Amino acid sequence: MSGHLIEDMLIKYAFDLAGEEEKCSLEAHLGDCEHCRGNLDRVRGKFRALDLLAGDVAVSQELTAKVVEQAGGGRKIRSRTWMPPVWMGVAAGVLVIASVLVINRGWRSASRPEQSENGPVLSRQPASRPEVLGVPTRPEVYRFGGPAHLAAAADTEKAIEERPPFAPASAIELVVLPRRENVQLTIYNSADLTLVRERRNLTLKRGWNWLQLMWANTLIDPTSLSLEPKEHKGKIEVQQLVYPARLKDIGRWLIRSEVEGQVPFEITYFTSGLSWRAFYMGTLSADESTMRLEGYVRVDNYSGEEYEDAQTRLIVGRVNLLDEIAELARRQHPYGSPIPMPEVFDGEIMSEAEHADEALLFFADGMDSDVDFAGGGYGAGGYGYVAIKEIEKEGLSEYFLYTIEGRETIPNEWGKRLPSFEAEAIPVTNLYKYDEGRWGGETVQFLSFANDEEHKLGATPLPDGSVQIYRRAGGGGGLAYTGGTEFKYIPVNEKVELDLGPARHVKVEPVLMDYGTAAHQFDGRGNINGWDELHTWKVTVTNTRDIAVKVEVFRDFGTQYWEMERSGSFDAYEAEDMDTAKFTLGVPARSKREFSYVLRTYHGTREGAWSKDRQ
Amino acid sequence: MMDNSDKSLILAHLDGERAAFAELVRRHGDGLLGYLCRTTGNRQNAEDLFQETFRRVHEKASTFNGSNFRSWLYAIATNIVINDWRRRKRHPEVSLDAMWQDWDGRGSGLDTIAATDEGIEPSRAAQREELKTQVRSAVASLPAKQRLTLIMAYYQQMSYSEIATTLGCSSGAVKTHMFRALKRLGRLLPDEAGGVS
Repeated sequence: MSGHLIEDMLIKYAFDLAGEEEKCSLEAHLGDCEHCRGNLDRVRGKFRALDLLAGDVAVSQELTAKVVEQAGGGRKIRSRTWMPPVWMGVAAGVLVIASVLVINRGWRSASRPEQSENGPVLSRQPASRPEVLGVPTRPEVYRFGGPAHLAAAADTEKAIEERPPFAPASAIELVVLPRRENVQLTIYNSADLTLVRERRNLTLKRGWNWLQLMWANTLIDPTSLSLEPKEHKGKIEVQQLVYPARLKDIGRWLIRSEVEGQVPFEITYFTSGLSWRAFYMGTLSADESTMRLEGYVRVDNYSGEEYEDAQTRLIVGRVNLLDEIAELARRQHPYGSPIPMPEVFDGEIMSEAEHADEALLFFADGMDSDVDFAGGGYGAGGYGYVAIKEIEKEGLSEYFLYTIEGRETIPNEWGKRLPSFEAEAIPVTNLYKYDEGRWGGETVQFLSFANDEEHKLGATPLPDGSVQIYRRAGGGGGLAYTGGTEFKYIPVNEKVELDLGPARHVKVEPVLMDYGTAAHQFDGRGNINGWDELHTWKVTVTNTRDIAVKVEVFRDFGTQYWEMERSGSFDAYEAEDMDTAKFTLGVPARSKREFSYVLRTYHGTREGAWSKDRQ
Repeated sequence: MMDNSDKSLILAHLDGERAAFAELVRRHGDGLLGYLCRTTGNRQNAEDLFQETFRRVHEKASTFNGSNFRSWLYAIATNIVINDWRRRKRHPEVSLDAMWQDWDGRGSGLDTIAATDEGIEPSRAAQREELKTQVRSAVASLPAKQRLTLIMAYYQQMSYSEIATTLGCSSGAVKTHMFRALKRLGRLLPDEAGGVS
């Protein structure tokens, strides 16, 4: 080699890029040429700058752990058989020869081992995607809403893994709740509690299924959730309800299914936020002798969930649910059916004589027996329903169950008023009361009737509620507002007395006409130790209304030692209690009645002279 | 474990031994992460690709032919890196220069120099940092195959035949890539770097 080495040659030598011959030649030249050796050092020095980027990089333990965890942490990922490449070659050769000799069609395609990006495969298994993260994956995506196709698993199908998956492998393994087919609400007003029973058709695959449900922004009690298949009961098993960590308001049911296709499921849970209240509207006749009473039920939904076409049932009366909730908490299978299915109660309505606990069993399990729940055979439901819906009432021991006819859609944050009953011409008593101890100097109007057959009621108890009373006025059918009030639960055959507030047109005016003492008694030193007081009262009752009214006047005397002399116009008198007297009188329209009484009260040693007979 | 070659570790992993995979990660992790840091220029990105590489190793373990695990591993990693480059080219997030910052956990500002290069005069440290930036830019400017070859050969100390297996080409082609890379760097790098290293 003549002359000196150019930089390219020096680079090739420095980085071992030259062929064997060239390398020997370069070595020989460098051995003899000091100049080129200097240049070689210069080239090496120049490339030493690359060392500036040669720092060590260490993998953190965290990253290592993450990678190992990602690889599934020790689960056997695929059965495989090791075949050394030499055997694979022999096998390939044998197959080639066999194909040539036997088939003799010029077919030369030997069964070569599968090629990976780096040569033949290690395993005999096809290089398909392995199970990731230890959870079997399925190529098909599990969806709802497909055609209702249901077929029992064939015997030849792959056996279902015995061990359930710890968690869904990915989002495609999860199924969210499909649209509900039917829903039944049983609203327990006394405890702000509603039992929701809904039916949804889930599409299951054979094997393990994950069903995800969310209850964010609702008032659903997640611990009360229960899921139960309504068909294929022996072949579908709801295994567990999992509340995954770090996921709020989400639960996942693990379902083992031996069938594939759509299966109806019943989901039961408690929620708050649904309430109902009763209210009534009474229209008095012009003479206030009869009243038309209409009962309504208003259902409000603030539960955060919309219930479409729901069968709504209302519980009247106070239900002691605390014991029942405790019972739910103690049950053996917390997320199975809360109560065994109601074989004995099918199609029955429990009588009042049956026990209260059994009544709740009926609520929880009676859905199958409710013909209208599954069938919805009342025609139109929800919005646009024109005909008045009937509310069916059933007695259940201490409670009463009102079932609203048909179905109702109750959107979230909506209220809905439904008519409950209507009774025409209930005989009522228009009563005015005067009692200074309770209402001061005002006369208060009451409307009284009874919840019994005589008053054209009595079929069911009347739930707590408010009532507004109107009165027909004039011949044109106009109404005048008379008053409103709240009343408590009224059992059958109990008297109802509605307080309509102070009356302006009926006045009671007691006037003290005379006062004096008498019958004094003295002790040994001449001091008074006994005496009588005498009050003379005149009571005027004025009725400025155009109808006759009945008035009760109560007089309280502050002592039980009293006697009375009555005179004037009143219909009845009775001692209401030991220190109260009651005068009853009917007052014709636009008229006035007066009565008087002289009250003698005994004091001190004179009390001994008092006799009850003289009241 | 009697035989702890890479091949036996892969076989053990296929049989479900957790420790085997962990050993593979420990054995090749540092080198691979260095490779990914140098190819991507970004530690965070490199760690993501690192995870992705070992995920694919796990998935494709049954296709490993048992010859050279490192080549196989780097082939997987290289495919991932190339895909990452393509993705970033379509959706650029950072410039190439910026990509090369901080992959080794060091910044390039004077404050960083003063804080990290103890014992070196600040002026020399600044000079060194400037040279480092120059080298990064020079390497980053290389075409993909030349860059990958240079990184594997120079920094990962892989033989040319190993690189050829990794890149799926002949050793001659690898040498050509390496030669062209060095020639190009020869023009870009300053004459003498020894004084500041």
